[in-house]
This record gives sequence, C-alpha cells and structure tokens, in this order.
Amino acid sequence: MKKTVSTPIPRRYFLGGAITLAGLALSGCGGGSAPASGGAVELNFVFWGDANRAKVTEAALRVFEEKNPGITVKTEYQDSGPYADKLATRFAGGNPPDVLAMANRSLLEYAQRGTLADLKSLPELKLDAVPETVLSRGTVDGKLYGLATGVTTIGMVVNKTITDQAGVTIPDDKTWSWEDYAKFATEVTQKTGGKVYGAGFDVATETGPIMLARQRGEDFYTKDNKLGISEETMRDWFQYSVDLRAAGGYPPAGFFEQIGGSPAQSYLAKGTVASQIIPINNYRGYNDAVEGEVVLLRIPGETSGERRGYSADPTMLWSIAAKSKHPKEAAKLLDFLTNDSDGAAHTLTQRGVPINPEVAESITSKLSDDDKKFVDLMAAIQEDDLPAAYVYPKGASVVADTLKQLATEVEFGRVTPADAAKTFLEKSNAAINK
Amino acid sequence: MSVLTKQAPGPAVGAPLGEAPRRRPPRRKNQRSGYLFLLPWFLGMLFTIIPFFASLYLAFTDYNLFTEPNFVGLANFQAMFEDPRLLQSLKVTFIYTFVSVPISLATALLVALILNRGLQGLAIYRSVYYLPSLLGGSVAIVMLWRYIFGNDGIVNGFLGLFGIQGPAWVTDPEFALSTLIVLNVWTFGSPMVIFLAGLRQVPTMYYEAASIDGASKWRQFRSITLPLISPIIFFNLIMQLIGSFQTFTQGYVMSGGTGGPADSTLFYNLYLYQKGFTEFEMGYASAMAWLLLMIIAIFTAINFIASKFWVFYDN
Repeated sequence: MKKTVSTPIPRRYFLGGAITLAGLALSGCGGGSAPASGGAVELNFVFWGDANRAKVTEAALRVFEEKNPGITVKTEYQDSGPYADKLATRFAGGNPPDVLAMANRSLLEYAQRGTLADLKSLPELKLDAVPETVLSRGTVDGKLYGLATGVTTIGMVVNKTITDQAGVTIPDDKTWSWEDYAKFATEVTQKTGGKVYGAGFDVATETGPIMLARQRGEDFYTKDNKLGISEETMRDWFQYSVDLRAAGGYPPAGFFEQIGGSPAQSYLAKGTVASQIIPINNYRGYNDAVEGEVVLLRIPGETSGERRGYSADPTMLWSIAAKSKHPKEAAKLLDFLTNDSDGAAHTLTQRGVPINPEVAESITSKLSDDDKKFVDLMAAIQEDDLPAAYVYPKGASVVADTLKQLATEVEFGRVTPADAAKTFLEKSNAAINK
Repeated sequence: MSVLTKQAPGPAVGAPLGEAPRRRPPRRKNQRSGYLFLLPWFLGMLFTIIPFFASLYLAFTDYNLFTEPNFVGLANFQAMFEDPRLLQSLKVTFIYTFVSVPISLATALLVALILNRGLQGLAIYRSVYYLPSLLGGSVAIVMLWRYIFGNDGIVNGFLGLFGIQGPAWVTDPEFALSTLIVLNVWTFGSPMVIFLAGLRQVPTMYYEAASIDGASKWRQFRSITLPLISPIIFFNLIMQLIGSFQTFTQGYVMSGGTGGPADSTLFYNLYLYQKGFTEFEMGYASAMAWLLLMIIAIFTAINFIASKFWVFYDN
C-alpha cells in the first residue's frame, strides 16, 4: 500500500510546475508549412470568424491562387478567443503564420515587440488607393504593422416588429440623445409587460465608452497611445446602465449569460431584448437571425454631445509576421485582399467596407439589401468631418478585461459606478504604462 | 504483469528488494523488463522535464513570448505580493479546494460503502457513478453545467415549481464558484472506485469477530473499516488536493476564459494562463507555476506528516 501511495505524486509535481511550458512545447506542433513541391510557395493564412466567413474567404483565395500560379494558401480559422491564444503560442514558438488577422487591441502588443513586418517596406503591396486615415490606424512610429481589412463602426439595431406591436415609436436616430434612448427602452419594457427589455447593449465592451468619450470631446485612446477617457465619463457610462436597469429599460443583473457570440445566439434573436449595439458590418447576420424586421440605427448622442463620436474603424487588421519566410508572396496576398475586385466579389463586406474605394465601388451591385444598408450608413456617417481616432495602445487587452470585470461588479451592485470608474482608470493606466 | 507472474509465488512478491534471494541474473532480467515497461513513461518525461527546467529559468526572467528573456532576479516573485488578482486567484482556489475536496471524499466513501454491501448489478452502479469523473473536466460537461444552472436551466426551473426565484448561478459573482464546487463534488467517481477496491480488501473475519462481540455497525465502521482503509483515504486526499489546486478547465469554460463574473472563478491556473498567453508575461506566469508547485508541495508535506497520526498500515 505504501508504494502505491507515494509513486504517483512526484509526477504530479512536475505537471504542476511545468503546466505553462507544456503549452510552449506543444506550440511547435502548430501547422508547420513545409515547402510544397516544385518550388511552389505555401502561405499560411489565419483569421478568426465563423464558417460562413471561412467559406467566402476560401472562395476569394482560390481566385488568388489562379492569378498567382506557384502560390498556394493554407488557411486556419477559429473563434476569436481561441484564435488569440493560438496566435500567441505560434509566435512564441517561432512558427508564426505568414499572413494573419489582428485585433485592434492586440496590434501594438505584437508590433512593439518586433514580431510584425513593416508593410510599407514590401513593394508588392500597393497602398496608393488607401486613405491616410485608414493607414494611420495600423501605423506606429511611421511603420505600418496592420492594414484594415475593411472599415466599420458600431450602431444600434432595433427589432421593429416588437416595438410596432408594443406601439412604441422609434425616435429619429439622427438626432436622438442617450436620454431619448433610455426613455424609448423603458417604454418598450413597460408596453410589452416586461416580456421584452427595451435595451440590451453590452456595457462591458470598450466600443461603448469609446463612443461616449468621443462625443464628450475626449479620446478613449489618445494620439500618444495613452488612456484619455476621464473618470467622470467612465462613471457616467456605468451609471447609465444602472439607472436604465432601475427604470426597467435594461434587464436585471445576471440576465446576460453569454456576451458576444454569433447573431443567432444573441438576445435580440431570442426576442428577449428589443435593441442591441453591434458592429454594423454584422447587420445582415442579425436581420437574418431575428424573426421580424431589424432596423439599423445610429448610436444615440451624436448631435446632442460636444462633438461627433463616430469614426470609421478597422474591422480588424491584416498583418504579416516579421519572421515569415515568404514576405513577398505574403505581400502579394495582402495586395490581393486589399486591391482586387475579383476577390472582393466573394468576401464583399464580410470584414467591413473595403478600404480601396474602387474595390468598394465595384462590389456595390453585388450586395444584398442589408449589406447595402450597412455600406450606406457607413458612407452617411463619413459625410461629416469626424474627429481623428487612434491606434489602440499596448495593454489594450488588459483594459478590455478590466472593463469586463468592473462592469460585472457594477451590475451586481458590489461597487458604485464612481468607484468602478476610479479603479478602471488606475488599472488601465498601469497596464498601458507598463 | 509479467514481472509479477515470473517471480516466485508467496511472500517473496511483497518482500523488499534488499531481502530478495541472491540470484542475480533473474533479478537483472526482471529489472530490464520492468524498465522496458516504464519506457513510454520515460519518453513522456522528456516532454515534462525539459519545460520543467525551462520554466524554472524563465521564472527569473521577464520573458514575454516574443523577445529574448532578460534575467530579472526575484522581481517576478516580489511582484506577486503586490498583485491583487493573484491573491484573488489564490482565494478562489483555496475555497474551491477546501470545500469541494472533503465533501467529494465523504460522498465517495459513502457511496462506496453502500455499493460494497453486495448489491446486485454492482458493475453497472460502479460505472454509472464513475462516469462523471471521466467527464467532469471535459469542456462538454462544463458547457452542460452552464445550461443546467443557467437562467432558463433545469435547476431554476425546478426551484420555480415551488415559486422560488433561483439566483443567476452562473453570472452572479456570489454563486458562480459554488456551481463549480457542485460540479467537482459530482465527479466523486474516481476516489469512489478506489475506496471500493480498498473496502473489498478488508478481511471479513474482522467483522465476524466484531459482530460476535456485539459491536454495532457504526462501531465496526469506526474501529475496523476506517483504520483499515485509512491509507486509501490518505491517497485519495492527496490526489484530490493536488487535482483541485490545478483546476483549470472548469473555470476557463464556465467563464469563457475570463475567470468572471468579477474574477469569482479566477482559478490560480486560469490566472497563470491569462498572464502567460493574454498578457504575454510568461516570466511571471512561470514564477506563478513555481509558487503553485511550492504550495502543493507544502500541503502534501503537511499531509504526509499528519498521516503518521491517523494512517494505519496493516502490514
């Protein structure tokens, strides 16, 4: 008996000690791209998203391969969470993909550690047609590390079938204020007898406070890559949801079990909330997933605030690994993804409005009605002069996690909005300045 | 197996190696086949040993996954003392361990005792109770758990029958950890099977003698069963403690990787993972891994020392 007692334990010690590095050791196994036969080049191309996104991307890549004999593209894709984890391990293991999708909030984490190629140094990638404002969102210290896959922004989607049935009029979204939205949401809850909550926007995603800060003349992330939102604005962001919950327009604490996920998994699709804030390139997905008619509206507060909050933001960014063995071919692929209308004919507005205006123009006739509404709203928003927006700083992913944590604390009344705002600034500044 | 069958039957099997008969060739042969059987384990150890020492080195560096690590001395360990999330993760892990391990061991022993009474179809019951412990750490079961305890889940549906509005088990920071503790207790199957094997080893003659002397069932349990299976309790305790300290999957899946709501399911290993792979502070994460190793070593050592006072070895 004694022997059985003691033998298994030392092995467990080792497991405990080495759990981190086990990941590192395994990372070496990640999709190694062995050179294909006949001198052909195989590019490894990774992105996050769902099966539909993968399908249209593959279709575009087949066009690329036809146009570029000798280059084949091998793709991998996951959900955004696991994607981020796998990407980190692959870079750490010295086996990064050639071309990859990068989240705004992760760009500088990678770029400032020298892991990404300067896209301006690759002549195969032509950037003449791309507006400077778009390039700036992937540029650090004069080097272009990320190129927008397309542009998008956030908007409000409302289930009009529900509000019509309840007899609630949707205010004019060109002029509505945050107060108007709160009133509207509360009325929806009342008139549906509490079956549907009027508002269901996500308090814990940074795009919300980013918008509010901009409307108040502050930059959530500033030009010099710092945190610029004031404690007061942050407090008001938290307070807004607390007040709206108290009034009945926003669901009770604990109601939202899953944040993010596909349109089909959303509370809007379940019919338990009447409105939600989404990245508007996903509008079609929501209208497809929801029974009834979903209308796409602007975010409240655009005319009642100090200045416009909107900006045309990269949906995500394309990057090329500094260690890519085939930078030329990788740049060709990026050029194709950015400037080729035949490829865009497949991907359409899947990753936002194409950043090359000619390409964007070329696909308009192929768009569905819902995608057209997205493109039209995007264009309408950009008709006015919008304040400049900047790259997310290093540490932005910690900021996002901190917001998530504090939003829950506020939701359950464990901290006041004022204390949450204070803590948010402290923790975020510490992460960014590290 | 063949090692055992080739040896002479009788007491020699259990005898310490030093007292084995001095016939060297067969012994060496036995050893050789023994090592042969261990070979896969030794090969597997390579994948553990190398990262093991690498992490020891990295614990003293500022390694960030992408650039060369720089030696920073004890800075990572010092930083731990000022890290509130580290304390939170320790708190979560300790609560989880010290609540769920005793309950799951007691449950396992109780069920094993019941099953040991010579039920018909024992093999079926044993499998049924064992099954959860094979599945408990799996992603699918934790997802299932989310639905069972979800707002529209079975648990709250059941409470609703009695007019009770159940809490938001998964999303409320006050309750999220308790649902995971329940999940862990539910996976009592593997200690149970070991208990069951142990109970079968207890010679029936002791019970016969005791019942002739008029000892009650409770008395028999306390004075015969418990002492004789105490080495097994000890073994299960150690294994469960170590397993609980290393909990990761449950917290990761339940919270979608965040350790939320509000860090209430931020297990130590989950935080370690976040540090390493989302904040890219792999040096710090390595240091955390070593702190966990030390914590587990200390608790195991305490147990071994304490075991002298309560574990009884029959032979």
